Amino acid sequence: MALGRKKISKVEENIDNIIKNIPEEELFGFADFDEKAAERAGYSNYSYWRSTFTVFLKNKTAVFLLILIGVILIFTFIQPLLPGQRSPTEIFNDANGVQIRNMAPNSEFWFGTNSIGQDLWSRVWSGTRTSLFIGFSVALSEAVIGILMGVLWGYVRKLDRLFTEIYNILDNIPQTVVLILFSYIMRPSVSTLIIAMCLTGWLNMARFIRNLVIIIRDRDYNLASRCLGTPTMRIIFRNLLPYLVSVIMLRMSLSIPMAIGNEVFLTYIGLGLPPSIPSLGNLINEGRILMTSEALRYQLFFPAIALSIVTISFYIIGNAFADASDPKNHV
Amino acid sequence: MIETNEKQPLLQVKNLDITFGTHKNKFHAVKNVSFDIYKGETFGLVGESGSGKTTIGRSIIRINPTSGGEILYKGEKINGKISKERDRELTRQIQMIFQDPMASLNERAKVDFIVSEGLYNLKEKFSSFQRKAKVGKALSDVGLLPEFASRFPHEFSGGQRQRIGIARALIMEPDFIIADEPISALDVSIRAQVLNLLSELQKKRGLTYLFIAHDLSVVRFISDRIAVIHKGELVELAETEKLFAHPLHPYTRALLSAIPLPDPIAEKNKKLLVYDPNMHNYSVDKPVWCEIESGHFILANNPEIEKYKKQLENS
Amino acid sequence: MEQEVILSVKNLHVKFDLRGKTLNAIRGISLDLYKNESLAIVGESGSGKSVLVKTFMGLLDANGKITDGQIIYEGKDLTKFKTEKEWLTVRGKKIAMVLQDPMTSLNPLKTIGYQICEAIELHQGLKGAEAKAQAAKILQDVGITEPEMRMKQYPHEFSGGMRQRVVIAIAVACKPKILICDEPTTALDVTIQAQILNLLKDLKVKYNLTTIYITHDLGVVANVADRIAVLYAGDIVEIGTCEEVFYNPRHPYTWALLSSLPQLGIKGENLYSIKGTPPNLFTDIKGDAFAPRNPHALKIDFVKRPPYFDVSPTHKARTWLLDPRAPKVEPPKILGKLREGVKNID
Repeated sequence: MALGRKKISKVEENIDNIIKNIPEEELFGFADFDEKAAERAGYSNYSYWRSTFTVFLKNKTAVFLLILIGVILIFTFIQPLLPGQRSPTEIFNDANGVQIRNMAPNSEFWFGTNSIGQDLWSRVWSGTRTSLFIGFSVALSEAVIGILMGVLWGYVRKLDRLFTEIYNILDNIPQTVVLILFSYIMRPSVSTLIIAMCLTGWLNMARFIRNLVIIIRDRDYNLASRCLGTPTMRIIFRNLLPYLVSVIMLRMSLSIPMAIGNEVFLTYIGLGLPPSIPSLGNLINEGRILMTSEALRYQLFFPAIALSIVTISFYIIGNAFADASDPKNHV
Repeated sequence: MIETNEKQPLLQVKNLDITFGTHKNKFHAVKNVSFDIYKGETFGLVGESGSGKTTIGRSIIRINPTSGGEILYKGEKINGKISKERDRELTRQIQMIFQDPMASLNERAKVDFIVSEGLYNLKEKFSSFQRKAKVGKALSDVGLLPEFASRFPHEFSGGQRQRIGIARALIMEPDFIIADEPISALDVSIRAQVLNLLSELQKKRGLTYLFIAHDLSVVRFISDRIAVIHKGELVELAETEKLFAHPLHPYTRALLSAIPLPDPIAEKNKKLLVYDPNMHNYSVDKPVWCEIESGHFILANNPEIEKYKKQLENS
Repeated sequence: MEQEVILSVKNLHVKFDLRGKTLNAIRGISLDLYKNESLAIVGESGSGKSVLVKTFMGLLDANGKITDGQIIYEGKDLTKFKTEKEWLTVRGKKIAMVLQDPMTSLNPLKTIGYQICEAIELHQGLKGAEAKAQAAKILQDVGITEPEMRMKQYPHEFSGGMRQRVVIAIAVACKPKILICDEPTTALDVTIQAQILNLLKDLKVKYNLTTIYITHDLGVVANVADRIAVLYAGDIVEIGTCEEVFYNPRHPYTWALLSSLPQLGIKGENLYSIKGTPPNLFTDIKGDAFAPRNPHALKIDFVKRPPYFDVSPTHKARTWLLDPRAPKVEPPKILGKLREGVKNID
């Protein structure tokens, strides 16, 4: 504080010196008045997205996890291309032609092998890739359908009653029942799972979007657009959706781990992917059976860690992004 | 200045009724309102919040539906169902300026898009070059620099944002503008800028304004004629100076006495009149909307009309 | 008028941390508040008027700091208060505040009676039936009829003006010494505004208060104020009694504010308006902050900040135009119309 005062008085001294050198009449003469200059003053360069990213980047944990997920994602794609990698479905025999079952992690099989002699390392990476694919697909489809429905529901007043009734009916059907029924009817495969999960997931997104649309649809700028004759579709895309981008991204980032969790659950009750398509669900299920035996626990350990990392990362990243996109935190 | 009976009015409102809600919870927002607006004038509509003035403005520009009566623009009915052609025509001719500069612009769009939004909806198609030129001209007409087109609304102050809203309405080259409390949300020192701008534009382009406000002192400066509205009904309508010189209806007098005067001695000695709707006895003699002298209308029943006529003679 | 000083602000500086930059919100304000007076603080948005009164109650946002100066109240320096406990001895009890928006000042989930009794129990120590009786009395004082019935109602059942009366009742229930009103009538209609201002004047006499009004509306100020302080860019540019500031303003900003009133406008001609926008407070301002927008600016205004010059024992202004060496500049002619232009409205 004292330093500040010294600095100020020094500046004042400088000003006084300058003034002493100018003749009095000039100092007290009128200055030119520039109107344009007056207009230019007072300009703020706040940018919403720039501030959002700045605040997000301050959260070191979220940034770290984001990089981690990025690395994992990239690795799941390049892993099969690396030299010396094995196929996840191939069964390996040792020198005597016997299957290398339940071998603990060693220098040859980094994660060991499972009970029928498959390489766990490549199975875990392949499984992570499949699960992430399922997660992203479900999140994306939910978002697209959910947003479309939600916006129509919220903005077009005539549809509100109809959609609310439909929602009330569909919401009461337990998601689990739909998942089970659907998986039972169709052949188990990746696309079956994705479709089954989308069938129920869009409902919550639609409801969420509809609530937000109702809040902003009567704001003055939307009325102004109507006065200018702007058609409904353009109002939705240019006036409403840009406000919803941050919440949409938040919901999507949270629905990815949920989708993966659902896939694990379905596998657990026997309706998931076949063993020929490794996924985190399969792997955890296989490992779970062997949990009690200490020597074989690694078969649960590795896929469980992969699942935990993915789930926790997405939750933290999603929440950090939600906090960062709130304008109140842009300080 | 305004010839009342010879010219045809630009806008005519006849016995307008607007009701919200359904059978049980009906809210009668506007009751039997009639007035005319002539080309080139500024018509002030003054009332408290909830009096129905904004509702009237919005039903003229067809955002709100009406429940009874007619609105005629250039002699043709514009409320209720109209053809798409006509709708597009009217969008160009009647425009609106909104109250809150913070809420009336799309925060996520550039000023360029905001101002030119209406152009996309016209039948005429403009090239990108033409559009940019129009935007630049609209911005400089309202006193902003054309380079502002590439910025976002949050970079501007309240007064500048309100001017962007005006540019947005002007670019459509309307004949009639409804200004819905355009300066209530602005700082007192910025209000003068916007009022001057509106006056200038009116002179240059021959615009007609419906100026909605709750503050009589502002309306006095800019309006040619003023109508006072109370709980959905018009109570008095007259030329500005006549209204201020001889206010007849007790509600108008209450509004006038409430205007804050920037003069300490006058303000401190002022007597505040409070309007009590129960002071009228309308049980037997119903009030009518009648012309008590040329161009001066009032809502009163017969005994009151007599009383007012005497007041006018004495003053 | 008693000249006992009850609150004294000395050379106050307040800075905010905003997105990595520093905003100089208050740049050296010194102010004395006299007992039982009604002081009005007038300024545009962004001039710092709300920030100033928030420092009196410790309600500055988390990113704001008092970097210099003192606020002396009852012998203690309020800038040194660190804990909530210290502030609770002052906030509400000695200094109470009425805010602008009655819609959001009240808790929508609790009855009016509950909210007033809460304040009474906290600050007057009464409980139960006694508190309720006191609450009814205060509601009567602020002009709400049938207080016993109204006390059981919720905020949404009141109109805007009535809600503001309730907020005033809560503030006054604490029996404070100083009542701060931050734009209490800006959100209300003109007729309700006049009633609320009269109410505040009556309460000031009845409860023996000292009041501070924050506003940007000079008409409101003329009604209620004894003294006026004009604020621009975080600095008081002119301060004096109400008559002095209205009838003999000396700072070009005050001239500009008064000239731009619509009541002085002549139909058909342009209203006087201040060009440009308030300065950017992120930068250090050289010289007079109003200079870029001042048509009467002297060259020295852009170089050195003017000190206060006394116009009378109670009236001073911070402008180089009052320096004996400066050219004589008359206030705009239009201000002479102030008294006549206003007569025509009666």
